[in-house]
Amino acid sequence: MQAFDPSTNPLNNNEWSFPLLEIIHIVSFAMSIGTIAIVDMRLLGLGMWHRTSAQLVKSTELWTQFGILLAVMSGIFLVSTDPANYLHNRAFRFKIACFLVAIVYNYTLHLKVAMSEHSAFAGRLAGTLSLALWIAVVFGGIFYAFI
Amino acid sequence: MPLFESIQNLTFFSTIRESALAYPVILATHLSCIAMFGGTILMTDLRLLGLAMTDQPASDVLVQFRNWKRIGFVMMAVSGLLLAGSKAETYYANPYFHLKLVLLALVGMHALAFRRCVHRTPKLAACLSLALWLGIVSFGRLIAYYEPTSRDLAHTVPRTEPP
Repeated sequence: MQAFDPSTNPLNNNEWSFPLLEIIHIVSFAMSIGTIAIVDMRLLGLGMWHRTSAQLVKSTELWTQFGILLAVMSGIFLVSTDPANYLHNRAFRFKIACFLVAIVYNYTLHLKVAMSEHSAFAGRLAGTLSLALWIAVVFGGIFYAFI
Repeated sequence: MPLFESIQNLTFFSTIRESALAYPVILATHLSCIAMFGGTILMTDLRLLGLAMTDQPASDVLVQFRNWKRIGFVMMAVSGLLLAGSKAETYYANPYFHLKLVLLALVGMHALAFRRCVHRTPKLAACLSLALWLGIVSFGRLIAYYEPTSRDLAHTVPRTEPP
């Protein structure tokens, strides 16, 4: 497992790869969470009234998936630079737990509500929960560096 | 530069910088805004490029996302100002921060320039917008990687411990 020894990992032996991966990670999570947030704002009744939430899901889902894929891949590379430190960090564990719940929720309940003729209350509940989960993921990622 | 030293030594900014909670919370808020509102910028540009939401007119997409982009921009700017103000002296000497400010000014000019004629050159407007925002995110992250040289710090008066 030489790639997971921080001292031999090539990502640790140059100055540019870590910040570059961080930038890719930020851009791709902005792409995925941002497109999910568009659906959530519609579910919350806060905008995009010309469209139904189902139409918004259809027009954003490809970009959401692409963003998630890129964010997960860059995230794995980032963690590989110092896996032990990440895995023992409480903020990182919180982030991963929230991410797993968020991703399962996004493709089950959230999708079901967004694609159906839901009541305003169900829409608000689904949108709030979605935004809360994704924001929690971002907070976990930032707090990794501060605790 | 004494001005920037006094800015960051305002009680308000010192509290942010020295608090174990305030600084990361504001930073995470800044990033959450990027995540939530970056999507509206991205989808607008992709619509202008004809790559997403093609089942509705570009003008509709622009109108529907306009307010969200404004709200997002204000939230990002406020949280960003708090972060920069609490470390004003290091930011002042940081070339990545300068580049980020230049690109932000260009984004403002882009908005003014394409305000009325975006329908004439939608692809140019979208490509420029994507490039500018990509640069802003990149330089924003790189701010943390700049190590000031001794020359940058030459103007800093060494603080003496009180007797």
